[in-house]
Formats: sequence, structure tokens, C-alpha cells
Amino acid sequence: MTAPRLSRRTYVFAYLALLALTLITTLIAYLNLGVWSTVIAIGIATVMASIVAGIMMHALYESLLIRIIVSGGIIWFFFMITLTLGDYISRGWLPVPGK
Amino acid sequence: MIEAVPVEVEKNYLTEKQGVLSWFLTTDHKRIAILYTVAVTALFFLGGFFALMMRLELLSPRNWLVSAETYNKLFTMHGIIMVWFFLIPSIPNTLGNFVMPMALGAKDLAFPKLNLLSWYVFMFAAAVTVYALFRGGVDTGWTFYTPFSTSYSTTYVVAAAVGIFISGFSSILTGLNFIATTHKMRAPGLTWYRLPIFVWSMYATSLILVLATPVLAITLLMVAVERIFQVGIFDPALGGDPVLFQHMFWFYSHPAVYIMVLPAMAVVSEIIPAFARKPLFGYKAVAWSSIAIATLGFLVWGHHMFTAGTSVYSAMVFSFLSYCIAVPSAIKVFNWAATIYKGSISWDTPMLYAIGFVGLFTIGGMTGLFLAALGFDVHVQDTYFVVAHFHYIMVGGTVMAFLGGVHYWWPKISGKMYPEGLARVCAIVVFLGFNLTFFPQFVLGYLGMPRRYAAYPEEFQFLHILSTAGATILGVGYVAPLLYLLWAWKYAKPATSNPWRATGLEWKTPSPPPAHNFESTPVVNTRPYDYEAMKEELDLV
Amino acid sequence: MSDPVALELREQFATPEQQRETASAGMWIFLMTEVLMFGALFSAYTVYRILHPQGFALGSSEMDILLGSINTAILLTTSLMMAFAESNAQEGNERWLAICLIAVMLLGAVFLYVKFSEYIEHYHEHKAPGFWFEDSSPYANNVQLFFVFYFIMTGLHAVHMIIGIGIMAFLLFRTWVGSFSAQYHTPIVIGGLYWHFVDIVWIFLYAIFYLPGLHR
Repeated sequence: MTAPRLSRRTYVFAYLALLALTLITTLIAYLNLGVWSTVIAIGIATVMASIVAGIMMHALYESLLIRIIVSGGIIWFFFMITLTLGDYISRGWLPVPGK
Repeated sequence: MIEAVPVEVEKNYLTEKQGVLSWFLTTDHKRIAILYTVAVTALFFLGGFFALMMRLELLSPRNWLVSAETYNKLFTMHGIIMVWFFLIPSIPNTLGNFVMPMALGAKDLAFPKLNLLSWYVFMFAAAVTVYALFRGGVDTGWTFYTPFSTSYSTTYVVAAAVGIFISGFSSILTGLNFIATTHKMRAPGLTWYRLPIFVWSMYATSLILVLATPVLAITLLMVAVERIFQVGIFDPALGGDPVLFQHMFWFYSHPAVYIMVLPAMAVVSEIIPAFARKPLFGYKAVAWSSIAIATLGFLVWGHHMFTAGTSVYSAMVFSFLSYCIAVPSAIKVFNWAATIYKGSISWDTPMLYAIGFVGLFTIGGMTGLFLAALGFDVHVQDTYFVVAHFHYIMVGGTVMAFLGGVHYWWPKISGKMYPEGLARVCAIVVFLGFNLTFFPQFVLGYLGMPRRYAAYPEEFQFLHILSTAGATILGVGYVAPLLYLLWAWKYAKPATSNPWRATGLEWKTPSPPPAHNFESTPVVNTRPYDYEAMKEELDLV
Repeated sequence: MSDPVALELREQFATPEQQRETASAGMWIFLMTEVLMFGALFSAYTVYRILHPQGFALGSSEMDILLGSINTAILLTTSLMMAFAESNAQEGNERWLAICLIAVMLLGAVFLYVKFSEYIEHYHEHKAPGFWFEDSSPYANNVQLFFVFYFIMTGLHAVHMIIGIGIMAFLLFRTWVGSFSAQYHTPIVIGGLYWHFVDIVWIFLYAIFYLPGLHR
């Protein structure tokens, strides 16, 4: 498999999209949407990260191996944060002090 | 007149280049493996010395040899040295480094310079840690639990943490190297299902090294920041949470147990088929169970924290997942047993160690299930039951397999055999000494003897004396192989290229191998562990 | 004339293609260790933000959104320059490759300058954690915790930026001595992967440190 090649046009479009998303996420952050503020901020950040990874780093055009490596890192991060938060969120569900 | 023809001596990796610099600047994976072997052996005996001091202290119910403070430092330094500077690098960086590229039919690892760099990083880390030790040691236990380590301990916590932080880079570089090598450096025809289990298990180990180590690094960094600035990361008075430290620490340190035991399984999976003269039973199941262990190993860390104040629901999930990981472990044990069944077994030293491993690992694994049970764990938490359990896995498992692997590949590494009779006696001495040391500790723990105490009630003395006696025997069993292997390096009789008549590409090249492993790149067109085909070949000869 | 690609082939590889793919896989694996490292800090931050929502909101409101946004835009621009550097390398256009690398380094330096002036500002406002930290709100300890994570995470990111600029300087040197050609320019791609990744980290840091304090 040869190295993926993307045109400068694609990069420029990705760049403009990233700038636009930065502006959007900053403007939305001025609204108080409660918990949704965080969800939207992280959601837009994830989209932006995907554009950088997928196009600038051309992960979308890479071999299966690279895509497995990338998904591995992300899945393992979710293992960590899910099981850790699982403990903190479920504390206090049982009406026994300290449980 | 017959002209004298000079005998052409084949150059091998040991004779290719001469001089001290040729070792310290080498990028040959085989030489780096030997550099690592020297380093971890020295550190093993340093850690072993601390263990011996502890066992001597525990002969008497009162402090008679060392003070309680010194005892705290002894078990801490024993843990730190053994976990990070022996067990984690032991098999991957010595045997793995030596064998894996050859088992793949490759000339070297994918990144030879990174491999050398990882050794230097490791040595630097070891130097920093040993410095902390000589400046006065650390007394937090190898787990660095907060808030004791961050707010109360007056010992060299930061220096030790920095040492371990640096050793993490060495782990990451090795893991990264092995993963890239396994994916990209296989010989033509060597498909995934033709790989020896050794490579599969090393691959699984590397996954853990790469994915878990960075979390430890950052956790220790936070401990150092908290200790220096007292800014409340883990201090409840300032809004921090000590349990969060435990979450992050065990996210690394539980998978680290599998970093230690998966390579041991790798070695045993090579030895058992070779000495039972049978293909490994259930090859695919054994291969995938390594990956399953590496994955599930990340989902069970909460079982170290059942009594630490985590929520009941979280504890239930972790308990369930801990039971799940017994499944792939059991798959391996059953398949090894099935491989031995009706095999034509020869009781050479590597096989003795391998059989010992299977038995001791099974005991260690089964007691792990006790500890995964929420009720029973509360009873034996922080007792000698836990100590005995993980020593059955780490000493009975990893160290036994390490010794077995060293004997198995010794002819390939040194080009010499070793004294077989003496080695067999030592293998049996190690097995007996080990059981005498650690089996009484199960009983002690069940009776309620807590870990990490220098003094104890008199009723426990008999069991402690048994344990110390066993440790002495074990010590002899560890020193003897060091001595006779050093002797064998120089004086034993030369080995043939394949003394065990084993399959695997590393046996298809001379002993010791040439600098680039193979005369020509091998091509593989058979399944692994094809001892039946080999038997036919040998019968024909 | 020797083939430039063959010259760069290390002895353990059979083909240049194998070498390139291995190098790329190695870098991606390394980046995944970085994901887990920043991920651990991100998890810890999340736990504390759930435990102390008010303190973290107060801490975030101390951030200068203008400087943060400018820095985000600067980093995104460096990513574009890096991508252009790669295109120029593929075309064998060494002159423009060098110009793009210089642009990446300069913009990276501007980012660091802005970042450090922010740090100095926080220090003068007594928001740097430690004994000089002062806060009059009832959530002072939690605000301090927010700043601990802010300094560790952005600090670690800044360290990565400095290393990245070092890598760019090394690549520039190798471009200058003529190591790269349309056939062989793997180090540019590998270095680019690292640079883009540092960019991704900042995108998340911007979202968790700068944005939550905007609405009160």
C-alpha cells in the first residue's frame, strides 16, 4: 500500500471547517444550556479531532492496521473513563452511608 | 603434500565484533537481550536480598533484626525492584528480545536503535531508584498509596517515583517495538496462525505495555506534584480524592500483572509441546486467549479496591469481570494439560520448570478467584493470603517460567549446553522451596495475619519459620543456576543448532546465531508445532 | 548515482515500502500511548469536575477566551502548514517544504509565547496553585484543583509543543542537507503525525478549560 496523498484543496477545506467549528463552539459556550453545554463542547471537539486525525493525519485513508491501532487507543481510553466514572456516579445509590 | 587449509570459523553474534564498545553501542537484538539479562539478574538478586532480610526478621514475633521503619523500607524496596526492575522487563526484554525476531524469521526488531535506547533508559531508571534506596529508601509500599505517600511519608518518594516514571518509557519503547515487529517483520509465508504462541503472547504483553504504562507515568507525576506543592490532588482536605489515585494506579498495575504472566505463558507454550513431542492442543484457542487476557485485564482493576470505599455497584461489576478473566486463563491451562496427555514426555530441566509453572499458576489463579469474591475478599484483604496469591503467580509463575526459558534457549544464546543433572536437581529444589515459602502464607492470611507488619502474635511463629526455611531453600535454588550457567558459558560442551529437536525458526539457524540471524530469509509453509511431521522426518533419517 | 531510496533502507527491512509502513505504524502506536496519558488526566479532571462543579466553573471563568481562541486558530494553521509541508515533500519541492516547516515552527513559537504570557497573568492574579494561591470564594480549594489540572495539562501540552518544534528543526536541517526527495520523505510524514496529534490534544484542552466559564 502506497502512502496516501491528499490534495491541498482537501486540506484547505478541512482547515476552514476547523476554524468554523472553533467559532461555533465558542459562541455556543456563551449560552447556558446546563449539562448540554459540556456535551456540545466535547461533541464539537470530537468532530474537530476527527477532522485533524482523518484528513490532516489521513487516518481515513490508511491501512487496516493503522485504523485498528487508532480505534484501540480510543477504546482503551473509554475503558478507563467508563469504569472510573462508574464508581463515582454510582456512589450513594445504596441508602447506606459510605457505599 | 597436503596443504594446510585454515579452518573457517563461522562468525556468530558473539564473535562478530569485539570490545566493550561493541556491546554498549550494539543494535543487535541478541546482544541487547544479554545486556538486559545482566541488568535484571543483578536487580533480581538485590530485590531478593530485601526479601531475605524480611524473612529473617519474621523468624521472631518481635523486632529482633531490623526496626519497624526499616522493615517498611525493606518490603517497599523489595516490591519496587521486583515489580518494575525485574518482573516487568524479565521475560519480554531478555528472552523476548532474543527469540522474537528469530521466531519471526527477521534480521532484527523493527526499530533496533529504540531497542538500545530502551536499555539505556532502563538503566538510568534503575540508577535513580537505587539512588533513592541508598539515600534512605522509601516506606510507602510499592503501591504508593495516597495520602500517605503524598502528605505523611518522610522518605524519598519522589526519587523512587521518578525512577519508575523513567522505566515506563523503557517499557513503552519495548512494547511499541514488538507490536510493529510482529505486524511488519514476519518472514514470507509466516501468517498469524503459523506464529508460535510465544509471539502471540509477546504481542499481547506489548499491547498492555503500550496501553497501560502511560497511565502509571502520569499517576506518579501527579503524586510527585502533590508531594512537592501540596495542592490537593489526592488530599481530601483540599477537595481531592485518594481513591482516585487507586483507580489510576490499578488501571496500570492490574494489567501489569498480565505483563508479568503472559510472557511466562509464552515460554511455557513453547516448552510443553517440545518436550511432549506433540503439537500444542487447541492452538487458536491458546493464541486468542492471550489477546483476551490482555483486553479483559484492563477491566478488572476495581477488585483491588473493594474495601477502599468504592460503590457497591462498581464493586459488583469488577467482581463479575474478574471472574470472566479466569476463562481465558483456564483455556490455557486445559490446553497445556491436553498437550501433555499421551505425549512422549522427556523430563529435561525446561519441562520440569514448565510443569511446575502450570501447577503453581493454577493454585495462584484459583486463589485469585477467592479474592475476586466480594465477601471473602473483605475477610482476607491486606493479609498474607493476598501475598501468597500473587507470589504464586509472580514467583511460582513468572520466575519459574523465566528459569525454564533460560534453560530452554540457553544452547541458542550461549552455544553451549548446561549441566543437565544439576539443573534438574535445582529445578526440583526451586519448586519445593517455593511451596514451603508461600503455602504457609495462605494459612497465615486465612488465620488473619496482616501483611506489612514486622511483629506479630506468637501463635503465627511456626508458620513464619516454615516460610523462612522455604525462602532459604529457594535462595539456594536461585543462586545455583546463576553459578552453573556462568560456568557453562565458558566450559560446557558446545550445543548443536537444535538440541531439543524443537520446531520454530530460531532452531533452524546455528547456535549461537550469526549477527543477522539467518543465512537467507526463511520461508514458512507449515503449521506451528508440527511435531508429527518432524517425527516422520526423524524416522526417515 | 546511487538510488536515494535504497540509501535510506535500513538493513532489517526487505523493501522501502515495508520500512515506511513500519515507521508509520510505530508512530501511531506511540500516539496511542499519548492518548492514554492525556486520557488519564482527562479522566481525573472529569471526576473532579463532577464532584466540584461550582469550583471548576469559577476557575474556568478566569480564563482569557480571546487568547485561547487565538491560540486555537494558530495551532490549526500550523496543522495546515504541516499538511502543505507533506504535499511539497511528495512533489519533491524542497524549497517550499523548508518554508512550510519554518512557518510551523514560528507559529508554534507564537503559540507558546501567548501560552506563557497567560501563565504569567495567572501567576500575578495569584491563581497559580501552591502557597501563593489566593481565592476569596467559598470554593477556593476547588478552584485551586481546577488550576492544578489546568497547569499540568496545558503544561504537558506545552512540553509536547517544545519537543515538536525541536523535531521540526531537525526535519528542517535534514531538508537543508538534502535528505528528502519525492521518493523518500517518511520522516516528514512521521513528524507531521506527531504535530497534528499535539494539535488534537489542544482542541480538547480548549473545550474543557476555556469554554465552561463563558456562561455564568
